[in-house]
Amino acid sequence: MSIHWTIFASELAKELAGEGGHRGFGLNPNILETNLINIVIILGVLIYAGRGLVGNILQQRRQTIETAIVDAESRQQGALAALAEQQQKLAQTQVECERLLAQATEDAKRAREEILAEVDRDIARLREAAEREIASEQRRVGEQLRRQAVEQALAKVAAHLERGVGADAQYQLLDRSIAALEKGASS
Amino acid sequence: MMFAAIEVGKHFYWQVGNLKLHGQVLIVSWVVIGVLAIATALASRNPQRVPGGFQNLMEYALEFVQGIAKEQIGAKEYRNWTPFVGSLFLFIFVSNWLGILVPWKLIELPEGELAAPTNDINTTVALALTVSVTYFWAGLSRKGLRYFERYVQPFPVMLPLLVLEDFTKPLSLSFRLFGNILADELVVAVLVLLVPLIVPLPLMVLGLFASAIQALIFATLAASYIGEAMEDHHEEEHGEAQHA
Repeated sequence: MSIHWTIFASELAKELAGEGGHRGFGLNPNILETNLINIVIILGVLIYAGRGLVGNILQQRRQTIETAIVDAESRQQGALAALAEQQQKLAQTQVECERLLAQATEDAKRAREEILAEVDRDIARLREAAEREIASEQRRVGEQLRRQAVEQALAKVAAHLERGVGADAQYQLLDRSIAALEKGASS
Repeated sequence: MMFAAIEVGKHFYWQVGNLKLHGQVLIVSWVVIGVLAIATALASRNPQRVPGGFQNLMEYALEFVQGIAKEQIGAKEYRNWTPFVGSLFLFIFVSNWLGILVPWKLIELPEGELAAPTNDINTTVALALTVSVTYFWAGLSRKGLRYFERYVQPFPVMLPLLVLEDFTKPLSLSFRLFGNILADELVVAVLVLLVPLIVPLPLMVLGLFASAIQALIFATLAASYIGEAMEDHHEEEHGEAQHA
């Protein structure tokens, strides 16, 4: 479709622009035809009205972002402080842990030594008691043996006596006994 | 009396191979892309923790387009689609507004005139087709071939309607945007022709409002189609009816 309105002066316009049938590139100097005044007015109104409106919106947006950032930053600060506090507590706890561990190790070592010493003492005591027992037992057995030997000797002597002792032997025995008595008296 | 001319259907053609390109559309598109790229670069050049000035403005714009994507696609998936939806919105919005607020007619071309790229049906069709491709891709990449189940989901009787919908979506998207922008520019141009001063102003303000709404609608619908394609439970059309 080709709609072409032409007012009588369009020929004049072509003449002004210095064109023949075909236009080239150029500037259109006609202010009214190019609608320049209206555009300037509408731009002015737009800028005048838009500045306030858009400015307000942008200001608000900026404020919102600012408060959000400040808020986030303060929360970050708080979180960092809390973190530091907790870390400090953690360090304290670790120190405490180490102390407790060292103390426990110390206690354990001491207890071990005590127990060992006590056991050593017990061993010594037991050994001593055993040795004493052995000695007394030895003594007892020795005495018993001695007594048995004496009894056997006496029994033999009694048997010998019952079989009877000859007169010679009696004399001999008497003499020897007298001699032994004399020796005992002199010494 | 004044002299003026309104030119519709005339284009500043560039011949590239066998293609005839609409040069005026490409030029203004590049300007729009440049404005967006420079704005982005400026805003992110020296990012501050507490955004001030221009960075703040651009972050606000980003949050706005994120909001569009989030609302339509859902908080779980919207991140992947924010760049697409945001680009659509920003490109259309800046195109529309630059078309109104920049006195393009100061610059004369050999033929045709500079205006918002969105007043050319080729631009809007291209944008709408990217939306179609994107929502198909979104659905297929999310569900694989099971994506096509949605065509027979409530009842198989719906199949023709739902297939038709895939064609009407880009059609309605492109024509809505193109029609709104072109109509607004024509009305303003005619009024400027008749009464050059003051009288076109209300219509220009209306045009600013309408073209911003159109950008919003386009981006919202694109996001809604993407969200719909990825949805697990089939749900009919929640976008189109509200905004048409």
